[in-house]
Amino acid sequence: MPVLLVIEDGPEYEEFARLFLAERYAIVAARSAAAALARAPEADALLIDLRFERARPEDLIGDAEDAARRLFAGDVERARRWLKEQQGTLILGALREAGHAQPAVFVHDFAPRRLENLNKLYGRVGAVPGFDARSILATLEALA
Amino acid sequence: MRPSPRPWRVAAALGVLVLAGCADTETSDAGPSVAARWADARARWHIDRDPAAFQAWREIDPATPEGREAHRLLAEAEPLYREGIERVEAGDADARDTFERAVRTAPMDPVLYLPLARAFRDQGTQAPDNPHLFIRAAEYYRKFLAFVPHDPRADEARAELAAIDPDASRLFASPLETSPRDDTAPSSAPALTLTWPLAVAVLALALALGAVGLVLVRARARRESLDSLAAAKPELHPAIHYLVSSLRHELLKHRIGAVGAAIEALGRGGATEAQVDLLRGRLYGGEPLTEAWAGHLDAFTRALGPELDLWQTDRRFREAGRAIERIAKLETKLDQPRAHARLRDAHATLTALDRWLGDFASRLVRTRVDGALFRDVVDAVRAEYAAGQVPLDEVVIRSPDPAPSVEVFRVDLVLVLKNVVRNAILAVGGHAPPRRIGLDVETVLEPTGEETVRIHVRDTSPDELTSEEIYSRRRSRGLGLVTAALARYDGAILVEPGEGEWAKSVVVRFFRADDDPS
Repeated sequence: MPVLLVIEDGPEYEEFARLFLAERYAIVAARSAAAALARAPEADALLIDLRFERARPEDLIGDAEDAARRLFAGDVERARRWLKEQQGTLILGALREAGHAQPAVFVHDFAPRRLENLNKLYGRVGAVPGFDARSILATLEALA
Repeated sequence: MRPSPRPWRVAAALGVLVLAGCADTETSDAGPSVAARWADARARWHIDRDPAAFQAWREIDPATPEGREAHRLLAEAEPLYREGIERVEAGDADARDTFERAVRTAPMDPVLYLPLARAFRDQGTQAPDNPHLFIRAAEYYRKFLAFVPHDPRADEARAELAAIDPDASRLFASPLETSPRDDTAPSSAPALTLTWPLAVAVLALALALGAVGLVLVRARARRESLDSLAAAKPELHPAIHYLVSSLRHELLKHRIGAVGAAIEALGRGGATEAQVDLLRGRLYGGEPLTEAWAGHLDAFTRALGPELDLWQTDRRFREAGRAIERIAKLETKLDQPRAHARLRDAHATLTALDRWLGDFASRLVRTRVDGALFRDVVDAVRAEYAAGQVPLDEVVIRSPDPAPSVEVFRVDLVLVLKNVVRNAILAVGGHAPPRRIGLDVETVLEPTGEETVRIHVRDTSPDELTSEEIYSRRRSRGLGLVTAALARYDGAILVEPGEGEWAKSVVVRFFRADDDPS
């Protein structure tokens, strides 16, 4: 059975995946970028949370100092918040950089332009607006 | 805040509320409409955080179990809100904890927005380097004026808001003294016997009425629909956006949108009792729909001026008003199949208005960062006395085609850029030629898939300027409103070294509008 790696900062996605996607995928989970990088070799597909608001600061990836300087007029706190709010995309970037090219799906209503950009950057990225098992499976299948 | 991506949990929460409402229905003496209204009122606060929820809670009849609960919670929350305000006044960093407890309990009485605004204003005065305090103060003044416009302290609040945000205070100017619609006019005039002098008087009166009629017809021709007013007066966009959002949220979504499925079920002849209860509660419970509609339209006129005529000139609102009246008349006919079709049609008209308003409101808050915007800004600054005296050798304006859009009201973006351009012109004016300024824009793709829009205002002045100086000097250089506006839109301002012939570049950064098609 193919393996779906669920990457999020809490238990909700994993709980959902075990309830509604377990017939098609074996579910494994990671709560941080480091854990995701460790488990990625065994995964056939990725289901990723966008926001990691419950993550510990030391688990976040992304350069807060650089983001503060470039984007937030030196406000490091605001930059850290941004990294949390967008952490899922940054983890996907780290996975791609490490050579993991599996299909990845976000449960988020990205505007078409944003999704296009994510595909330009990372390839094989899909998004579904809500927790709809059929849509998630169909999107993963389309990206396979 | 957790993202919307927990919809099944939200749905579950809503389900719990609905079920709670249904359970109450079976045990409550007050009947289903009170239970449904109480569930709705709770959802308006605990899910939507709608400030108008306070009124909805207070209107639950205290003679019912639901009303007793609502009033008990309101009474429990009020001292917490007051304590929170006192803690803000005292500069207590833990005031947030008190507010969180209050918010979890019940909505705040909108009259408390005024002391809350004053507390933030006073804190802002003591900490001029933190623009967020003034932003919060302005937000609470606006809420106070929007939700309790007739409070005796409204004039004081307007003056205080004007001192920290003149543009916003104009949008909440004193309500016009409009005469109420005259429902008591006699239905017929007394019989007259025409005599010669009276005939002359009647003729004169007719001529006078004719002249007044002509004036009225001409005045009518100058009346505006909502979109024509928005096109003519971009400075009103923030107020229009606020009013449209209130109308959509409070009436079109909660009362009209919520009953779509129930109307469909009614039309198919398969509506359950609970669905019919929901429909009756939303359409005929609480404030009559016609009064709620009139209240919203009057708020538009008060805030935007008497030239706005939503009742007659604006076709979409005129048709929606008729749909509201049709729905009101169908209250006692819901058991008739013909009424179902009429209800469906009226619902479709209002849903179409809601969709149009959604598109309209989102267009209001999009601004294209193009050459036309830059030229408007430069022209406006050059029209000022001091900046107009500086002899400029060149103004270089560049923008890509298509230009990017940002999610910022045009009036606010112009305010920000005018301040930066003014400073650049005055800075080059203090030095020998060549005196040049430049405006251009670039977009940068971030690793998150977002794009940032970087507006450069470049100049040739050798005066040194750093990002820190902009923030620390903002109050003395007119940049307080700039940083406040930037904070409102999650924007930032920074200084970068110049390239080529430029000495430096002040960069104003926003995120690109997500749905920008270009």
